[in-house]
Amino acid sequence: MSVGSQSPQMTRTANGDEVVIITHEDVDRAHDRVRVSAARAQHGFLSRARLLWLLVGPGVLVMLGENDGPSMLSYAATGAKFGIGFFIPFVALTFCMAIVVQEMTVRLGAATHRGHAELIFDRFGPFWGWFSMIDLAIGNFLTLITEFIAIRAGLGFFGVRPWVAILIALVILYSALMSHRYWTWERITLAAAAFNLVFIPVALMTHPDWHSVGHALLTWQPLPGFNKDTLLIVLADIGATVTPWMLFFQQSATVDKGMTTKDIRFGRFDTVLGAALATAAAVATILATAPLLAHGMTADNFQAAEFAQALQPLVGRFGASLFALGMVEAGIVAAITISTSSAYAFGEVTHKPHSLNLPMGEGKSFYGVLSLCAVAAAAIVLIPGLPLVYVVLIVNVVAVLAMPPALVFLFMLVNDKEVMGDLVNPLWANILSSGVVFLLTGAGVLFGISIIAPSIFAALGGK
Amino acid sequence: MVKKDHAQVVISNSDQKLVLSLLEHDQLARAKKHFIPRRHLKGPELLVLWALRIYLLFMMAVVGYQVWIAVR
Repeated sequence: MSVGSQSPQMTRTANGDEVVIITHEDVDRAHDRVRVSAARAQHGFLSRARLLWLLVGPGVLVMLGENDGPSMLSYAATGAKFGIGFFIPFVALTFCMAIVVQEMTVRLGAATHRGHAELIFDRFGPFWGWFSMIDLAIGNFLTLITEFIAIRAGLGFFGVRPWVAILIALVILYSALMSHRYWTWERITLAAAAFNLVFIPVALMTHPDWHSVGHALLTWQPLPGFNKDTLLIVLADIGATVTPWMLFFQQSATVDKGMTTKDIRFGRFDTVLGAALATAAAVATILATAPLLAHGMTADNFQAAEFAQALQPLVGRFGASLFALGMVEAGIVAAITISTSSAYAFGEVTHKPHSLNLPMGEGKSFYGVLSLCAVAAAAIVLIPGLPLVYVVLIVNVVAVLAMPPALVFLFMLVNDKEVMGDLVNPLWANILSSGVVFLLTGAGVLFGISIIAPSIFAALGGK
Repeated sequence: MVKKDHAQVVISNSDQKLVLSLLEHDQLARAKKHFIPRRHLKGPELLVLWALRIYLLFMMAVVGYQVWIAVR
């Protein structure tokens, strides 16, 4: 039996009767599970499809949520700087890495019914728990700032004033929360996340050279030069797919959704589906901006939605508007999921109620932290004169650097027999996840060498 | 016997039955008040954790240095 499989909270009344305490949150979750049970009890294709519809959510949300403002900027800068080549299959590879990592959080959440932050705190103690929380809090807050920059830039393309753009984003964020039901929040956010796919029609409007795309996918060529710029884009593209907040969010959402070990298969499908959709949107963004190869566009060209403006002669006003709207969507969905991830983590480490099923009165701290994170990040974006472009440029790099310590905690938890029971990591998953840790650490070390010891970087073949 | 939430939200008998029949015991919100037993980390695990912590702090300093150079 895993340590997560404990007895329910039992108390005794004065006359000695045992009582189970049931909360409003439990009732809401049970109502969601009724539909899952009913679909599972039936046979046939339609009932399987319904079961899948009921159980998808955390995986798609985490993957499309990670196709956020700075990520889409990284892909846009990748396309504009390197065109069609090495980075098309490379981005697909990074999403494969994300599947390996995120699948473990599904299993961990379903097996223990505990969030990631809670498990780290309880299992390894507050000393390591706080380190992990500080990494998450800093990373989440920096990323949240960039999401509001993306929203401001995207809506700025349509002439919307910055404060109006930020207000629109906050209204959408609170609209998703107002139902106080995980299910409704998830469906509203999924509907918003579907707009991430608008980058696909924009890519089609640029009439990509499909022969070059096929060649790049098969041969990974043409290769970019090995220099600091390439390394920065490599790190930014990795940071656009695997980041610490994703671990915390998907595990907490899996728990909040009420998924159990019976649902792990669907949780895996959910994760792979999310990765496939996110890969399609990411590759489409690279293809869409590949014609800008000669324009000298970089990630610096972000704050005034220059990418959408630069694309306008190629794809028309409609295509450029779709691109700008895609940036807005990327920012809004990520702002929702990342602020929720912070609120889940806070509730888990403080053992305060933490669920999207909580009514406002019972979840004051949960909704309070969520609101505080979102509003503070939004307010910073409105301060004139701050050099926020640097936050946009480094946020994905910071995510890559913070990922190995986060992954080691995950690795230790999914290999902990007392926590996971029979669901401990199989050997193949350990080999793959170790590979991800080594790759991320290696990329980070190479980046460090390129900055502080350029001569060693040059000796390694870098320019 | 099932007790309703201390926040005095009225939970009907049918809802109580639903919760107890559909949710696993450790899925109940109040069951999560239990702490999971602490695991004491051993030498090699502590070594890896400290090495990664130092790596992260060092790399953050590198990123800070790069931003400082860029701002200047």
